[in-house]
Amino acid sequence: MVLVLALGDLHIPHRAADLPAKFKSMLVPGKIQHVICTGNLCIKEVHDYLKTLCPDLHITRGEYDEETRYPETKTLTIGQFKLGLCHGHQVIPWGDLDSLAMLQRQLDVDILVTGHTHQFTAYKHEAGVVINPGSATGAYSSITYDVNPSFVLMDIDALRVVVYVYELIDGEVKVDKIDFKKTTTQNAN
Amino acid sequence: MVNKRVPDWLNSSLWSSPGPQPSVQSITPLNDDGNDRSTRSATKSSTATVNAVKAVFPVERPVPVPSASTRHVATRSKPEIRDPLSINSNNYHSDDDNGSSASSTTTSASAAAVAAAISSAEDISRQAQLCQELSRKIINMGEVRRLASQGIPRGAGIRATVWKLLLGYLPTEKALWPTELAKKRSQYKNFKEELLMNPSEITRKLEKSVILDDEGTAIEDKGALPRSEITQGDHPLSLGKNSIWNQFFQDTEIIEQIDLDVKRTHPDLHFFSGDIPFAKSNQDSLRNILIVFAKLNPGIRYVQGMNEILAPLFYIFRNDPNEENAASAEADTFFCFVELLSGFRDHFCQQLDNSVVGIRSTITKLSQFLKEHDEELWRHLEMTTKVNPQFYAFRWITLFLTQEFNFPDSLLIWDTLLSDPEGPLETLLRVCCAMLIIVRRRLLAGDFTSNLKLLQNYPSTNISHLLYVANKLCVKSAG
Repeated sequence: MVLVLALGDLHIPHRAADLPAKFKSMLVPGKIQHVICTGNLCIKEVHDYLKTLCPDLHITRGEYDEETRYPETKTLTIGQFKLGLCHGHQVIPWGDLDSLAMLQRQLDVDILVTGHTHQFTAYKHEAGVVINPGSATGAYSSITYDVNPSFVLMDIDALRVVVYVYELIDGEVKVDKIDFKKTTTQNAN
Repeated sequence: MVNKRVPDWLNSSLWSSPGPQPSVQSITPLNDDGNDRSTRSATKSSTATVNAVKAVFPVERPVPVPSASTRHVATRSKPEIRDPLSINSNNYHSDDDNGSSASSTTTSASAAAVAAAISSAEDISRQAQLCQELSRKIINMGEVRRLASQGIPRGAGIRATVWKLLLGYLPTEKALWPTELAKKRSQYKNFKEELLMNPSEITRKLEKSVILDDEGTAIEDKGALPRSEITQGDHPLSLGKNSIWNQFFQDTEIIEQIDLDVKRTHPDLHFFSGDIPFAKSNQDSLRNILIVFAKLNPGIRYVQGMNEILAPLFYIFRNDPNEENAASAEADTFFCFVELLSGFRDHFCQQLDNSVVGIRSTITKLSQFLKEHDEELWRHLEMTTKVNPQFYAFRWITLFLTQEFNFPDSLLIWDTLLSDPEGPLETLLRVCCAMLIIVRRRLLAGDFTSNLKLLQNYPSTNISHLLYVANKLCVKSAG
């Protein structure tokens, strides 16, 4: 039972001051085993804050990050799943499923986590699952101003992943979940 | 090799009180129960006490005074028959006992061997009696308690069964044992399954009962994954009181504490510690028992020290020669642990410290007890040197003296404690009082620091003597 927090596109301090208070009250240290961040934090203080949530922190570089040494893409294995991480501004058209599927095949991962569009999405295609946790602060994106703060918490348990989606809609935290089972034949090709 | 320092038994109230019984002779009749333990513990306690034993017995041996105590009705005839045998066959028995004991280091083992001979014969007789009791269809608890209070011999491996009887885990009717055991063991198994599951598994179980698995449909094709509602509004970051996730994370703190304590239990015993898989599995069992207990008792949860009370129980049950029992030791230990703690839960609850049932009041009871039996010592301890009984008695009482004596000795003490029909508390207080009285000479001569040091690191002593004095206190207060 491994809890993995996926978030990104915070754009602190340029486009948002901080995470919403309701999100911050839920994110306490000691519960989460891994944190993966798609990018665009943008400053070191946010990096330090995420580090306090969990020492195992993975970040990829977004176009506005002030820390230039984050990698463009990252892959990690948690339990039976391979996770891939990328900010997403490199993949055009932005947010297009087919292009992201190409990236997923390239990284050879089961779950690809990307951002940049500031909209939560979760897609499935034959190679695996693509998740976009959205923007945790609700910062405006290059495409739209209408952004709800959201992030994703994945509960990885052997061959099953339960993806909990946390969204702040009209000042209330709404939680949904998505179930995903990895079938062993998937990576045969 | 005679030890220069004053043997502990000399400090006992037997010698100092102006009581009517001539102390020397009073030892003899109760040699029956005194002896067996003396050797058994002579093997474990210092050679000084063995020498002390040696000093006393050569005088007494030739005159086996019939037991004045009413408790030993059945065995009274035995010492008289056995004595001439033992005197003549010193050498036989010395091998016998020194084989089973570590005191082969004592060179003048003859007197000790005599004592050992008597005691091993006593052991055997008591063992036979216990075995006989246990083989009855309906067990006479009074008889078992009486025999157990003198100490359960190690020979036949009956301690596990006797303890289970004393703690009320096994019913007195022997025919019911298999059904009772099966019932309790499956109950424990259910507890474990329910309580040791992590929240992911729990949510999965809840879901399975609600949603049918329709994996095939939406998941095959490309497209957006369907979002579904969370079960019962519970999610991993929930801070709600009823959230299983929240409870799980709160429990992890306790589980960590239990983990630490279990790893620290009896580091000197291979049974509990070390890298061998056997020790690890024992530690796992201890951990499971404590976690299940903590979850079932949200009132007291886990308090440091419960692992020490659990350890002897588990040790004995796991080493039961009966294979089936040893395999289910975890379940049996859980229920016996609950039973044992039932009278003492309030000692572990901090809020109840100052109440009538709390630990403070029990310590006060001990204090009163001491005052009744040895006012001089009481006054010296509490008034003159201001040694607050809380400093030493807290650990004695809450942990049932497991930390004061070495493991085998504490098992003997537990035999006596558990055999009390009204619960171990009275006997425990008496033994604590006896502990104080036995070292009274040193206490009276000492000041705050030395007394505190002495009581917090209680010197190893002859257990049979300790229990004998404790028993005498009972008789005295009754009279």
